[in-house]
Amino acid sequence: MWSSRGGKPMISANQTSASDVPPEVPDQVDEAALAEVMRVVPLGAGVVAGTAVALLVLGYLAIYLLVFLPRGPVG
Amino acid sequence: MTEQAAEARERRILGTELLWAFGVGVLIAAVLGVIVFTALTADINPPSNVERIDPKTLHLSGEFAEQNLGTTVGADGGVTVRVIATQFMFVPRCIAVPYGRRVTLRFATPDVIHGLLITGTNVNTMVVPGFVAQVYSEFTRAEDLLMPCHEYCGLGHSDMWATVQVLPESAFKPGQDGRVSCAQR
Amino acid sequence: MRNVERLCLAHCWVAFAAFLAASFLGAWQMWVRSPLGANIGTPGEYFISVTAHGVSMAYVLTTFFIMGFGYFVAVTALDRPLPGKPWAWLGFWMGVIGVLLALAAILSGQASVLYTFYPPLMASPWFYIGLVLVVAGSWIWCVLMLVAMRAWKNENPGLPVPLAMFATVANAVLWLWTTVGVAAELLFQVIPASLGLVQTIDAGLARTLFSWTLHAIVYFWLLPAYIAFYTIVPRAAGGRLYSDTMGRLTFILFLLYSLPVGMHHLMMDPEHGNGWKFIQVLLTAFVSVPTLLTIFTITASLEIAGRLRGGRGVFGWIATLPWERPAVLATGLAFVMLGFGGFGGLINMGYGMNAMVHNTSWVTAHFHLIFGGSVVIMYFAIAYEIWPRLTGREHASSAPLRLQLWLWFVGMMVMTLPWHWLGLQGQWRRVANFNYADPIIAGWGPLVIVSFAGGLVLLVSALLFVRNLAVLHRSPLPALQQPLYALAVDPPRRVPAALNGFGLWNVLVLALMLLAYGYPIVQFIIAPSPGAMVHRVY
Repeated sequence: MWSSRGGKPMISANQTSASDVPPEVPDQVDEAALAEVMRVVPLGAGVVAGTAVALLVLGYLAIYLLVFLPRGPVG
Repeated sequence: MTEQAAEARERRILGTELLWAFGVGVLIAAVLGVIVFTALTADINPPSNVERIDPKTLHLSGEFAEQNLGTTVGADGGVTVRVIATQFMFVPRCIAVPYGRRVTLRFATPDVIHGLLITGTNVNTMVVPGFVAQVYSEFTRAEDLLMPCHEYCGLGHSDMWATVQVLPESAFKPGQDGRVSCAQR
Repeated sequence: MRNVERLCLAHCWVAFAAFLAASFLGAWQMWVRSPLGANIGTPGEYFISVTAHGVSMAYVLTTFFIMGFGYFVAVTALDRPLPGKPWAWLGFWMGVIGVLLALAAILSGQASVLYTFYPPLMASPWFYIGLVLVVAGSWIWCVLMLVAMRAWKNENPGLPVPLAMFATVANAVLWLWTTVGVAAELLFQVIPASLGLVQTIDAGLARTLFSWTLHAIVYFWLLPAYIAFYTIVPRAAGGRLYSDTMGRLTFILFLLYSLPVGMHHLMMDPEHGNGWKFIQVLLTAFVSVPTLLTIFTITASLEIAGRLRGGRGVFGWIATLPWERPAVLATGLAFVMLGFGGFGGLINMGYGMNAMVHNTSWVTAHFHLIFGGSVVIMYFAIAYEIWPRLTGREHASSAPLRLQLWLWFVGMMVMTLPWHWLGLQGQWRRVANFNYADPIIAGWGPLVIVSFAGGLVLLVSALLFVRNLAVLHRSPLPALQQPLYALAVDPPRRVPAALNGFGLWNVLVLALMLLAYGYPIVQFIIAPSPGAMVHRVY
């Protein structure tokens, strides 16, 4: 199952490999397009994440008031 | 992009993160507020009576000797249930409790860790050898409930459970010694 | 890749082999518990399976995968060879021997104490020794991660440590702190009792020490998934990481707040009072913060990617994301499961509300969904991303990868959502056979069967996952040369020392642990609880 059986990897320790690429390689993002997009971001994220978290908290309160408390006190 | 513009953008990014963190903080504080409020006003807490007892001499102790197990109504009207959890049964196997009154349940074990819950209620506690587990509640439904052992205690764990009969006031009649047994069904 | 391919692949294959075996056990357990398997399997067999399933999923899959991924990050993110590689192999073999010892004890029926092994239940000493070996092997990994970061910092003075490595080292530091609890419990209490050197054991102390590890360990498991969110997914989606700084802060917050919160696993225990329980609930509320920050930061990062691809309006960027890429799909599915799982977690920590769910199927459902679901699906995504780089070959098609991820998501939701409901009804944990003749329990039957169906889908997904990786070893396509790690919107050129190392944070962890666990532990050393008789299961 390991890489040394069933076929050698296409790279050896001496050659450059697919992961020998330096980490901070520039990506394909166009800086001008990024600047344009960054004028709107994080509006969408705020709405989506905000709604999700709000639903979470409302769900928590609903379970607390409607399911937990009616079962009686505890201590 | 110029360096100042990049720095300005980074500050804006961190500003939005701070705003989000603030919003999140408010929500968490609200949740904690609910917890603290009900803890103080409605007396909602996890079972927290810390009391030690020697598991090796349980059966000899006054409180958990066999004749004291089960439901007892004290002179002040307080209802106390005493149960031993052991591999692999609860003693007694059937417990009678009153509907709508506060009940204090006390558990001890001579052997390994057990735990229990009563279905449909908030009664839930671990039973750890060396400690008395105490939990109180009020039963809001007058019916027969299951009280299983819910912590793995060995191969017989699956068959370890007791029955709880929640009796309406009319049927919850203590005997001369203050004890209440399960109704014969 | 500077010769860590074999090291990474070795760790990952051990992890995934354990995962696959445990998946079969899990499916069998779900069958036996359901009305369909009511007369199958003895309790002896069932609890061997539960112990093996728990140990494999919670200790083997996780530790080995995290170590393998960590070695990969240390080499690729720092762009330098791994220091101390012979030590890494030593750690690996210690772990493998440990797993084999523990497994032998479990399968011979001498260690049916489950992966939580609460004393005074006592298994064969080989079980515990095996686990100690796995942990000790992982400590070597921790040290190597620290050494690698230190070496890079010496060669790159003043530069920010690449986020993927910073986060990996945060996880290594977290793991060192985390394992103290269980190591103390095993070395000072359990193993002596298991060897027969003592006849009683302080159960209150043992549970408290284990709780130290029990919550922090889930963050050890979770952090690699978050490393993927912050450092792999934004590039996979074609965008940028919204904020590198918030990434660093998130991992620091996890290091601080994962540890002093373990007592919420003891909320129903009689050995601690509500004062200490409340303090730890308060701290637990803080550990929800880094997750909530992550939800925002990663969603914003995805928004960047979606808008760069033409998405408009408040929601348009969601549809334009490259969902056909496994890393992006896995993230979306992980976030949905994180929502439901996080909701369950809020309930669990809810001080009083814990009484409603403790030791019911709600708890089992919760951790299968949040760990088995959102975290493990990201393990799959990470594996799919790094495998080409480890083998030098490319996936022939991403369709089977996406199918596998979808099956995992559907299976997990179908298995765990009914389980939550059953937990609220009072269905309790760790049961070999339910008595479906009882009217209350009979009512649960149909949902148990639905849950079982979800488990079967998961098994298919697990098989497909292993298949997808195995065929890659023989793929004729050479790996595409593409960079892995994401850039931030504004990559930092300098970061403050506090965001580039852990000296300060270790001091804070110590302070928090003294506050939260100091008295709760020391009380047992000063005044041990009445000893519980050791109960051998072997």
